[in-house]
Amino acid sequence: MAAASPSRPEILSLFRSLLRTSRQFSDYNIREYSKRRTIDAFRLNKHATDPSAAFADGKSQLEVAKRQALVYSLYAPKVKSIMELNH
Amino acid sequence: MAAKLITTALRRTALRRTASLKPINLRPFSTAAATIPDPYDDPSSLTVKGVKISGRPLYLDMQATSPVDPRVLDAMLPFYLSRYGNPHSRTHLYGWESDEAVEIARGQVAQLINASPKEIVFTSGATESNNISVKGTLHFYKEKKKHVITTQTEHKCVLDSCRHLQQEGFDVTYLPVKSDGLVDVGKLRDAIRPDTGLVSVMAVNNEIGVIQPMEEIGAVCKEFKIPFHTDAAQALGKIDVDVDKWNVSLMSLSGHKIYGPKGIGALYMRRRPRIRVEPQMNGGGQERGIRSGTVPTPLVVGMGAACELARKEMEYDEKRISMLQERMLNGIRAKLDGVVVNGSEERRYVGNLNLSFAYVEGESLLMGLKEVAVSSGSACTSASLEPSYVLRALGVDEDMAHTSIRFGIGRFTTEEEIDRAVELTVKQVEKLREMSPLYEMVKEGIDIKSIQWAQH
Repeated sequence: MAAASPSRPEILSLFRSLLRTSRQFSDYNIREYSKRRTIDAFRLNKHATDPSAAFADGKSQLEVAKRQALVYSLYAPKVKSIMELNH
Repeated sequence: MAAKLITTALRRTALRRTASLKPINLRPFSTAAATIPDPYDDPSSLTVKGVKISGRPLYLDMQATSPVDPRVLDAMLPFYLSRYGNPHSRTHLYGWESDEAVEIARGQVAQLINASPKEIVFTSGATESNNISVKGTLHFYKEKKKHVITTQTEHKCVLDSCRHLQQEGFDVTYLPVKSDGLVDVGKLRDAIRPDTGLVSVMAVNNEIGVIQPMEEIGAVCKEFKIPFHTDAAQALGKIDVDVDKWNVSLMSLSGHKIYGPKGIGALYMRRRPRIRVEPQMNGGGQERGIRSGTVPTPLVVGMGAACELARKEMEYDEKRISMLQERMLNGIRAKLDGVVVNGSEERRYVGNLNLSFAYVEGESLLMGLKEVAVSSGSACTSASLEPSYVLRALGVDEDMAHTSIRFGIGRFTTEEEIDRAVELTVKQVEKLREMSPLYEMVKEGIDIKSIQWAQH
């Protein structure tokens, strides 16, 4: 069922989708964390010989992130975190 | 394909509609006209307890509790929505799927501490697990064992359980700690008696963050064949916890310190050699009779997911949090003098930074730091005015104990938050020191301790 090995465009597309979904989180801390973790995880697996396990994991994380971005936006507090306001 | 279109459309409308969604009404059934303005109504600022702040404070109190990780929430939600069965119902799908989820979560918790799933009992939190361990063990073995050894820096629930045991007639030895917060293993060895029934030492202290020498204490307990209990609520998922390396018989775990839900914890009970306890919650015999009561499936699933995440992310988190802690400490030390780190600097958990600022009053410092959520002392004891008993046990002077601030750094803390916290702390401390006559005297070179204060 799983693809033999994900191609480079597929990996890049997953990376972009994850970053795009990260930007949609309404909570400052979660947003920064998901951006940072995505970049670090892809950097860590850059030279992996067989990226299919990491790719499958990434795809499932993308599904989780999409759902949770929606849930967080439904319950976003009106007052934003102090870090998001101007100093 | 159709499902994809529907979900994108739904997401677009939901995200568009949130701007016009009414805020979640906290008092939906009140019929009286709202005379008290709801503090969360005004979108530009927040006024709570007479203090007005323009945004939600940045959270640096990870030892009190931690935010729930979105991946944990994602695992929990189905069990609130459609899979709401009672795991002890044996006759239908709802019960079976709930039970399966509980057993998977049990395995996830066990894997993090290198135990077997059969040795994990779910409780309502680390406090309940501590109660079962301390009181339950001694009550079970009360014919032969009358003595408990613990330390002066334990969590309040352990100390209170020991006090309860003292009232029942047991003997308790409260071991002192060295000035860096660590237990002296030699003193522990000397305190052991033939009728010692339990040794209880917490792995990572919640106030000062020091990591006790668990392997040495475990070796001593193994030598004398005494059950070793540890409160690992702050240690789980943060440092390497291994029940065999530490030789623990009982371990208390907490869900909400590792980015899981509040209201759930676990108790590890060794099977070989078997440790027996008297249950504190009697009832239908759930959780092998140790803790009766319906096992809360969503919370248990959340704790299991949190443990699994902690196992995968521990190395990454530790490296990052260590970098953030150094950044914070260097940032503060570069601008301020008279900053003391409470507790050992080498043997500490990197996410806990407990600092004392000399010549500054603690309450006023905390009140000035209203844009940073930190605590002084622990969440359990900060209601009273006396300085924390942990700092007193370390031998810290009263005035330094009053000005201690505990910064808790976690998985979701950013560099910008650390920089902002450093900036705010430095500004506040400098402001207070400028007003302080004691600091003026110190700057002139007078030794505060040598002053003879005149009696009025």
